[in-house]
Amino acid sequence: MAEFNIRTDAVDVEQIMRQIRARIREKRGVDYTEAQIQELASVKLERFLDVKGIRSDLVDQFRRTRGVSPPLPNYGFEDTTLFDSHRAVVRWIRALLKPILKLLFNPNPLIHVLHEQSTINNLYAQRVYVRDELDGLYYEVIHNLVLETTRLGIEVKNLKMRVESMSSRLDFDERRARALEGVVQYRPSTATQRERSREQPDVASGGGTSPVAGPAAPGGEEGQPGMAARRRRRRRRGRRGRGSTPAAADGPTAASVPNSVSREPDRAEPSDIGPSSEPDDDGANGDPSPSDL
Amino acid sequence: MKLAVVVQRYGATINGGAELHARYVAEHLGRHAQVEVITTCAVDYVTWRNELSAGTEVVNGCAVHRFPVDRERDIKMFARRSDLVFERSHSQHDELAWLESEGPTSRALIAYLRTHRRAYDFFVFFSYRYYHSYHGVRAVGPRALLVPTAERDEVIGLSVFGPVFRGVRALMYNSPEERAMITAAAHNDDVPGVVVGIGSDVPARTDPLRFRQKYNINGRFAVYVGRIDANKGCGELFEFFLRYVRAHPLGLALVLIGKPVLDIPEHPRVRHFGFLDDQDKFDAIAAADLLIMPSYYESLSMVALEAWALGRPVLVNGRCDVLKGQCLRSNAGLYYETHEEFVEALRSISDNGRLAEALGVNGRSFYRRHYAWPVIEQKYLDMLDTLKAEDGAGHPARALEPLRGWFGRRKRDLAPGKEMLGQLPTGPLLNGR
Repeated sequence: MAEFNIRTDAVDVEQIMRQIRARIREKRGVDYTEAQIQELASVKLERFLDVKGIRSDLVDQFRRTRGVSPPLPNYGFEDTTLFDSHRAVVRWIRALLKPILKLLFNPNPLIHVLHEQSTINNLYAQRVYVRDELDGLYYEVIHNLVLETTRLGIEVKNLKMRVESMSSRLDFDERRARALEGVVQYRPSTATQRERSREQPDVASGGGTSPVAGPAAPGGEEGQPGMAARRRRRRRRGRRGRGSTPAAADGPTAASVPNSVSREPDRAEPSDIGPSSEPDDDGANGDPSPSDL
Repeated sequence: MKLAVVVQRYGATINGGAELHARYVAEHLGRHAQVEVITTCAVDYVTWRNELSAGTEVVNGCAVHRFPVDRERDIKMFARRSDLVFERSHSQHDELAWLESEGPTSRALIAYLRTHRRAYDFFVFFSYRYYHSYHGVRAVGPRALLVPTAERDEVIGLSVFGPVFRGVRALMYNSPEERAMITAAAHNDDVPGVVVGIGSDVPARTDPLRFRQKYNINGRFAVYVGRIDANKGCGELFEFFLRYVRAHPLGLALVLIGKPVLDIPEHPRVRHFGFLDDQDKFDAIAAADLLIMPSYYESLSMVALEAWALGRPVLVNGRCDVLKGQCLRSNAGLYYETHEEFVEALRSISDNGRLAEALGVNGRSFYRRHYAWPVIEQKYLDMLDTLKAEDGAGHPARALEPLRGWFGRRKRDLAPGKEMLGQLPTGPLLNGR
């Protein structure tokens, strides 16, 4: 990863921060701030998610409907409530006349029902209170879920982009690897070179020519390895042509004869193929040269 | 020239931002003028409990007059009134009631200011948001200078402070962002003002090795200095730092220096040393790779300036306009808004020695240029001389706007502080932009 090139008198914090943000964008694909994620979660959710049944303004709806419920009113109802009064005299008269009232109708069921209702109201108020508390938690959970789902959607999208990018890079690497293998196949093998170096002393003894004694002017055409090999082969062919003469028996030993026979396939070496094969070595066929790799 | 520095708390061991600011200013202006400090007996800024004796004492060469606080803060009442004035439509009466709840309510201090207002040439009030400044400015009239130490919070949106900003003789701002915010809120362009800030008594030599040996620290680390509080952004700092630790197993450790109000995560790379004395604090900053300042609300970060004075880069919360502006103007620190930016910026400073060094060099230069004590003192003296010259020339005194009448004060026609805050300009200022 590239570091910043810094000179003391030329530090620009804004520029460094731009580079840092660019680096973050490189890493995660798209640069979203928390605020942008919030915005995406509340406004453009459907663009990033397959929101089956989830409204994009879910959080707003929830926020609107959610409110702190005022405490529910209730009325404590006991058997004395009907006859109660803050005036003691009135209370006494009511108690005194209670038997007469009971002659007219029976207030007990009424008192009982209202007492039960008061208890039910209390229970209901408790449940509403608990529900309010839970609503707060649900709100947080839903809010976080929507936010995280949006974030995940964005991340999935980025990951898909990265996978695509990586697969294309993999394809490219495979092509490059094949090209490299091709280059390696075309190079004269080290085994062949070893063989050739074993052969050279024989040639020197047979032809009386030192391998370094040739006109190998540096940089000149004659100095090129391909030309030297061709010249050596011409000499070998010349010797083979004279192989029936007794003088030939003094040249290559009997063991070296199979060697010279086995050299025949060497004609298939790139240097022997002729000018048409040379561009392959230069990488002109489109394959990258080793130096490029 | 005789000056009075009026501040909510004062003492050699009181290290709150505005209080330390006031002490430094009092001690340094004491070399050029006769300076006395007028303050309360409180030490704790939450309760305002009277913990020091009322009367006069001398602190580092300055005479300090202390006055008792009438009552401790009722936290629940303060929270309720804060909710009212910040979140809902309210009246001027509600705002004044909020100010009473906030404190430190000291009628004796205000009475002293009123009776002795002619005994001093100027009164330098610190922190606009407290009781002593609001009522003190009204008590001394045209002799009041204000060092607002305003942060970007809902308090700036309250209407009662507008007349204060418009009625003082001069304002000594901490940063261009603070100035822009107050000017937009109070429309006080005609009041003389200058961006001063504050210096720090940074030692000439520090000993990072001594700190490392004393606290057994071997590796590289970033340091946070200040109250470890969610309001200071420490919760976010811990979250981001733990992400950094996961991403960079061999990266920096985090050293925390300050009183904890928040739970500190248990992690081998998070070390907490509590409150340290100045020598240890400066040695720690010198030993650190960088200082992190995660606060959302700052009028001026003294500890960031101290880090710069010691040639250390800083990493600040980019959502704080003042801190971001300081970094941009000084080219001496990076900032973050998301955890990715935090991780990358921290990695950039820690891994790139040349960047860290360059930021540190810029910071040292920025500090010397703007916050060295001779520069600060000169700005104060220039302003005081200008005002003195105006007085000598018979310049008409600016009168404070009166409060509304009894019914007007109770009319619920004021917008919530939060709404007013939302209308103020945001962002750091660069060369006046």
